[in-house]
Amino acid sequence: MNLLQVRDLETHFISRDIDNRVRIAHALNGITFDVEEGEILGIVGETGAGKSLTAQSVVGLLRPPARIVGGQVRFEGRDLLTMSEDDLNAIRGNDIAMVVQNPRTSLDPLSRIGDQLIRIRRAHSESSEAEARSRAVEMMTAVGIPDPELRLSAWPHELSGGMAQRVLIAMALMNEPKLLIADEPTTGLDVTVQAQILELLRDLVTRMNMGAIIITHDLGVVANFCDRMAVMFAGGIVETGTVGDVFENPAHPYTSNLVDATPERLKIGRKAVFGGAPPDLYNLPDGCHHRDRCRFAREECSTPPPLREVGLKHVARCHFAGELPETAQ
Amino acid sequence: MTAEQTSPVLDVRGLVKHFPTGKRDQVVHAVNGVNFSIRPGETLGMVGESGSGKSTIGRTVLRLTEPTAGKIAFQGQEIAEMPMAACRPLRADMQMVFQDPWSALNPRMKVRDLIAEPLLLHTKMTRGERRDRTDELAGRVHLSTDFLTRYPSDLSGGQLQRVCIARAIATNPKLIILDEPTSSLDISVRAGILELLAEIKQQTEAAVLFISHDLGTVRLISDRIVVLYLGKIVEYADADAVFEDAAHPYTQSLMSAHLPANPKAEIRRHVLEGEVPSPIDMPSGCAFHTRCPVAIEDCRRTEPQLEAAGNNTHQAACLRILDGKNRID
Repeated sequence: MNLLQVRDLETHFISRDIDNRVRIAHALNGITFDVEEGEILGIVGETGAGKSLTAQSVVGLLRPPARIVGGQVRFEGRDLLTMSEDDLNAIRGNDIAMVVQNPRTSLDPLSRIGDQLIRIRRAHSESSEAEARSRAVEMMTAVGIPDPELRLSAWPHELSGGMAQRVLIAMALMNEPKLLIADEPTTGLDVTVQAQILELLRDLVTRMNMGAIIITHDLGVVANFCDRMAVMFAGGIVETGTVGDVFENPAHPYTSNLVDATPERLKIGRKAVFGGAPPDLYNLPDGCHHRDRCRFAREECSTPPPLREVGLKHVARCHFAGELPETAQ
Repeated sequence: MTAEQTSPVLDVRGLVKHFPTGKRDQVVHAVNGVNFSIRPGETLGMVGESGSGKSTIGRTVLRLTEPTAGKIAFQGQEIAEMPMAACRPLRADMQMVFQDPWSALNPRMKVRDLIAEPLLLHTKMTRGERRDRTDELAGRVHLSTDFLTRYPSDLSGGQLQRVCIARAIATNPKLIILDEPTSSLDISVRAGILELLAEIKQQTEAAVLFISHDLGTVRLISDRIVVLYLGKIVEYADADAVFEDAAHPYTQSLMSAHLPANPKAEIRRHVLEGEVPSPIDMPSGCAFHTRCPVAIEDCRRTEPQLEAAGNNTHQAACLRILDGKNRID
């Protein structure tokens, strides 16, 4: 059984405009993916594609006007969406942990690091203060923080960005989660620190047999640290597969453009035909949402594209998946 | 190559910039004796982690911040100590593109006036000539002329950066400084800007200083690369040599932390221990010795100078090159 199963997840932003008419932004339109134990799933896409919203929907951290209007999120077989808030709180921070992009704003500025780590342990288990403290030291050592005992009494503002991100990961690991969701864990950090943190995540996933989701817009992170990847565009997943398959044989035109737009491919003479505005989420086009930006769009594309299988566990949402003309120029 | 014979547009010798910290006898050693030069048509990439002094160098060269010491020769003319009034006319020949296009443009000026502003300041063009030139510039940066009558708030980040680039090339400058021009942009537009920069680089004979922490982009754009660590140049070589045959241990670890968007890339990762030391309290001798895996006792005392490593065009500042023990793998 999969650790996390997301099926047809739909999240809309429902609001009223100045004339009191209901306006609906179709932010997530039927998201389906799985995460297994011991694997890292990379979710990539441009700004506004719905990457972070997917994570927030999964763990139930949406705020109005965002609302889940359909689909299922099953964690170890239990549906998180129909669960009571109390049951959900018993899972969040315990079995499912999250690391967000900006470590400084997610640490409590008025508590010492140690107290925050101890608090999260004791909120979910019967452990004593001393027990939780030794666990905190253990986790801080695991994430490579020097002098962990000393750092327990540090304040968040005393930490560098890389250090704060490590504390956040240590915090996520305090209760030995089964699933770790990292939303842009290294964006804004220097490459050397980024490598340290991702290396650490990779190592922890293997050692503790966790499942993990890394949300990023950096294809380099996906290529080097993820097992499988899901490519998002306009609130939908357009392609999923193993990292090797997707990079080697991108089946969806969007994925192929995305891969061609990396500096490595530009260097070898690929021409990026990429960009353009994403579709208006308030007024999505019929059929394929990628139609307006797609070089290969034809008449068939005005009907919703099917999910086509192009290889083993490699699927793409395109009428012509796997049949696209070679894009090299 | 003709670039070898012509004299450099920019020649920087012994550049030092220290910022006061507010405490007596304490300064931030942002730039500590940097030498480099750029010839016409050459693009020099400048890489390093945050705090390595990249942006400070870029700003000091234009005298947007005053150097503490050192010589800056622009087209053979010494400008480091020139009175500001004498410096100002030279600005027509030295232009800069900043990281954040949203804050670089006056929100109350129309795009047409923004692009024409350098022409108004630095040329004697008539209104009609400026108009023609603005249209031409918009074409060169692939910006639709429809945008010329709009305000910056109507444009996307990528379009705004095109406006900034149009402004920078308006007066046909001899030197263009690009300070992280793609870092604040989304992946979907980054490739387009990179292609534009590559195109402009081919069209002009200007010298370009390209500052970025994104190693992939730097490799794509640059002819030669300077690697900075704590305000000192540790390696100075042809772009490909820096990536494929780095001599300095710091460059080697920096390059190994680079994540190419290619799952097949073979990476021998050398994750550095610890963090960058504070530029207030600079380490003695070689600034990198505190984290260097091949450091010896002498590195603590002797400050290494840039010396030939391999061929003439490849320089690195490391004591261990002499005894051939500079490889960290």
